Amino acid sequence: MENNTNSRWQRLVKKLTNPKYIMVYATVGILLLIYLFGSIAYGNLASDPKSNKGFNTVRTITTLFVDNAYLGISAVGMTFVLITGGIDLSVAAVASLTGMFIAYGTTELGINPWICIAFSLFVGVGLGLLMGWVIHYLNVPPFITTLTGMFLARGVCSLISAKSITISNDVIDALAGWKVYLYHLKDGEWVKIKPTAYINFNIILFLVVLLVGIYLLQRTKFGRNVYAIGGNEQSAKLMGLPVGKTKVLVYGFNGLCSVLAGIAFTLYVKSGWNLSLQGGELDVITCAVIGGTLLTGGVGYILGTFFGVVLKALIPSLITFQGTLNSWWGKIATGLLLLLFIFIQKVVVSSSDANRKKNSQTAEKRIT
Amino acid sequence: MKKKIDLTQLLRSKVTWAIVAEILVLLVCLIARPDFFSLKIQEDTGMLYGNIIDILNRSSEITIIAMGMTLVIALGGTDLSVGALVAVSGAIALKFMRWDVAEYITPGDYSVKPYALALLVPLGVCTLMGLFNGFLIAKGGMQPIIATLILMVCGRGIAQITTDGRQFTTKFTPFYRIANSSFLAIPMPIIITAVVILLMWLFVRKTAFGTFVEAVGINRNASRLSGINAQMVIFIVFAITGLLSGVSGLIYSSRIMSNDSNNAGLNFEMDAILAVVIGGTSMTGGKFSLVGTAIGSIIIRTIVTLVYYFGIASEATMAFKAMIIAVVIVLQSEPVSNYLSKRARNRAKLATGGVK
Repeated sequence: MENNTNSRWQRLVKKLTNPKYIMVYATVGILLLIYLFGSIAYGNLASDPKSNKGFNTVRTITTLFVDNAYLGISAVGMTFVLITGGIDLSVAAVASLTGMFIAYGTTELGINPWICIAFSLFVGVGLGLLMGWVIHYLNVPPFITTLTGMFLARGVCSLISAKSITISNDVIDALAGWKVYLYHLKDGEWVKIKPTAYINFNIILFLVVLLVGIYLLQRTKFGRNVYAIGGNEQSAKLMGLPVGKTKVLVYGFNGLCSVLAGIAFTLYVKSGWNLSLQGGELDVITCAVIGGTLLTGGVGYILGTFFGVVLKALIPSLITFQGTLNSWWGKIATGLLLLLFIFIQKVVVSSSDANRKKNSQTAEKRIT
Repeated sequence: MKKKIDLTQLLRSKVTWAIVAEILVLLVCLIARPDFFSLKIQEDTGMLYGNIIDILNRSSEITIIAMGMTLVIALGGTDLSVGALVAVSGAIALKFMRWDVAEYITPGDYSVKPYALALLVPLGVCTLMGLFNGFLIAKGGMQPIIATLILMVCGRGIAQITTDGRQFTTKFTPFYRIANSSFLAIPMPIIITAVVILLMWLFVRKTAFGTFVEAVGINRNASRLSGINAQMVIFIVFAITGLLSGVSGLIYSSRIMSNDSNNAGLNFEMDAILAVVIGGTSMTGGKFSLVGTAIGSIIIRTIVTLVYYFGIASEATMAFKAMIIAVVIVLQSEPVSNYLSKRARNRAKLATGGVK
């Protein structure tokens, strides 16, 4: 019995120390370092230690998620696309288009918001599937196909309205305003955490998309196919895997994530604007890369992307707490972070390549 | 017989499709406005004026960048940082020419020194940033799209910090002339673009450099083994692209006589890449066509002009851009162009009685 648990432990340790997770660990490590720095430097800004006005609060964390849920939702879909070795530049434009559909539909035309959302889902998933089809069957590079998709979605946004539309609709208001406050036990009584921290619809949507993404990628045939295509598309084809179908579905799923991100963003800002989220597609890609996804395909984890999102969101938050730095330093810090992670990836990839070479050489020796 | 074979080759050539698309768009323009091609000379400035000139003039920023981008794409990469470099170039130039620096802007009596600095420093910095991209890619072995993403994210931040987040304006006449004067009645940006295209063409086609780029783009290892210094080729290509982004940034900021770190060069990388691809250079690297790229850039601008003509909101031009680009790209895509050229070949066979 003892032996059994022992081996189970060993198996777990072996599984967790698998070098393929090293990028995720690097992300988590740097995330912890930056968080630690934040909590030491700006942990408590007020002179009164009880005022809870600083970095070390639950509120900091929940705000991080409230502000960046849409980014995270989109990043889940993007991770799938990047693992297949593709790229999708249309995500932010599709999210913006969703916002326009909801804002224009509910506020200007008076249509039921659920119909608007259903229509957005139809358009977003449809565009994703179409782009996937063009990429695979017409052999047009993903970069160009999705760039065209981005232009199309942005253009349609502007055709609908060139002005920002503020949403006034009961259902949208209710969804956006719904929140669960966090309580903690104090003197035998449940009281609201101060400063108030809450979980809203967007956070729950994010977590659901995250779990679905993890399940799809790690526990289904579809997920295996995604990794196989990213590893080597030719081999995947020769193995008889449904390469075309999987690729089309991946872009379709990413379209779904973009629409959900658009819904989250719309609930967050409660308006639709044709130029909203400009450049957002590269933020999403940055999150995935920081989270350890390789743009060459075949490598990446949804959980890594999750930490990438948190890490990317933490930087502007820290700069806000710092107070005197220009917000543009956030951009530069993000760029440097990207540089750092690419270097780590480079080192990891080249060392694992060297390992593989060594292994294959020893295998060859064994054969001869 | 020979003519028919030429036809199949023409159908296969991607530049042909770009020219056909441009002619089609111009035809639509002509139908929409019969006076589309009219040219006038503005009396006060002595400059040629008309839609065609306007298209060429306004496309010059993208065309200049796209010349560098053509080489980058021929290497099998992409450069996402060009738009940010446009902003950096403008910010640094304006930093040297703030109109509140009074001693430099006395009318008719300006010192040449700051002007030279205002032109040379931005170009130098942009070239250095291009070299940085080249370093990450050639020495660091990174994917170009990722390596240039770094400067794309950082670049606008650097531009903002250069000017402390402020927007400077200038009234410096020599700088104004970069984008707003004319030579032989032709607006200056068109001349600059023509010179850039000519120099680039001479550089890549009259030296072996163009062949080197194609060789590295097709197979980096093979080119290295055949004695080409692939790293040096990558360095030079990215430095050129950085430099050209700087030139484009100077033209852009001379047009508005100000720096705009948020919007200068916004989406330029996307437009430049599209121009290159429409012009027939494949994203997978290898053969490239500078002339095709110039046509691609002009197509993009023609579409924008056309949409303005129909009185549609300027932001909506993207949708029309997307549609036309989609048509061009689908026509250029391998399966479709193979199918078309096969049909043309079959027809040629039929015409000669199927004898080969």
